[in-house]
Amino acid sequence: MDALIKNAKEGDHLAFAMLFKENYPFLVKYLMKITMNPDTAEELAQETMAKCIQKIHLYNGQSKFTTWLVSIATNSYIDQCRKKKKEKNWKGQEEVFRKLKWHFESRNEEWNDALDALGKLPEDVRIPIILKHYYGYSYDEIGEWMKLSPGTVKSRVHNGIRSVRRELKLGEETESHYTEQRRTK
Amino acid sequence: MKKQKVIILNSEEQNKQDFDAIHELHEGLNKIDQFPVYTPNLQWFEQMVVEEQQHTRRKLIRDLSVFFIVAFIIISGMLVSLYQMPTIFVIVQIITTIFIASYTSVRLIKKATRNE
Repeated sequence: MDALIKNAKEGDHLAFAMLFKENYPFLVKYLMKITMNPDTAEELAQETMAKCIQKIHLYNGQSKFTTWLVSIATNSYIDQCRKKKKEKNWKGQEEVFRKLKWHFESRNEEWNDALDALGKLPEDVRIPIILKHYYGYSYDEIGEWMKLSPGTVKSRVHNGIRSVRRELKLGEETESHYTEQRRTK
Repeated sequence: MKKQKVIILNSEEQNKQDFDAIHELHEGLNKIDQFPVYTPNLQWFEQMVVEEQQHTRRKLIRDLSVFFIVAFIIISGMLVSLYQMPTIFVIVQIITTIFIASYTSVRLIKKATRNE
């Protein structure tokens, strides 16, 4: 196991600090992708690090440290969404990702339509899509973190991609082409 | 045969469209990865770790104190009732058993319904 993790497990502040500093940009960027909100991402990154300190004894070194961070961060976000929905002050994802869009525009970065489509998806569909198709985690791993069966994760990813396709209007031409073909037959 | 050919073409086309959608998603998410993230300095992280460890220690002490106080009250109550009012002791035991059994069943049923 990495020396830093070993020292952190023994309660060394500096080892923990170095570990977090090294992984902070990765963690915030992951959270930014699943929350689509830079402020929430930073807030959740701090929450994730706090949980990490409390649970470091549970980390067995079988997976990468970043993978372990991703699993904690994912759960923290799911818990936050659940709490917000219970409090009934859920504003909906569409309002949330506007801030990220605004950040892009303020930096003269071009906003991607796929991000728009991704932002419109509910978080329980968006998270597995990102974890599967961007980070390359398996359905089993995602299912374990989200407390779902691998089959459910697979179907959510499949349906999510279909929604993204619809949103991006991919395949509309082909579909109309097939309909036209059938009509002429 | 002709029908089968159309289905294969559809599925191929769908796979291609899925691939295109995933490719677009990759491009968008890559842009987020290029987003500059401000990383605080090492002292900030160290301070956060120290505060969190202190907070965890305080929470542990508080939780343990509450646990021991509650345990002391319950055990004292049980012992008093066992020696002074045995009937009440038996009734409390029966009620507790029934409550735990029904609570567990309700939880399991709810969990099973949620998973369906």
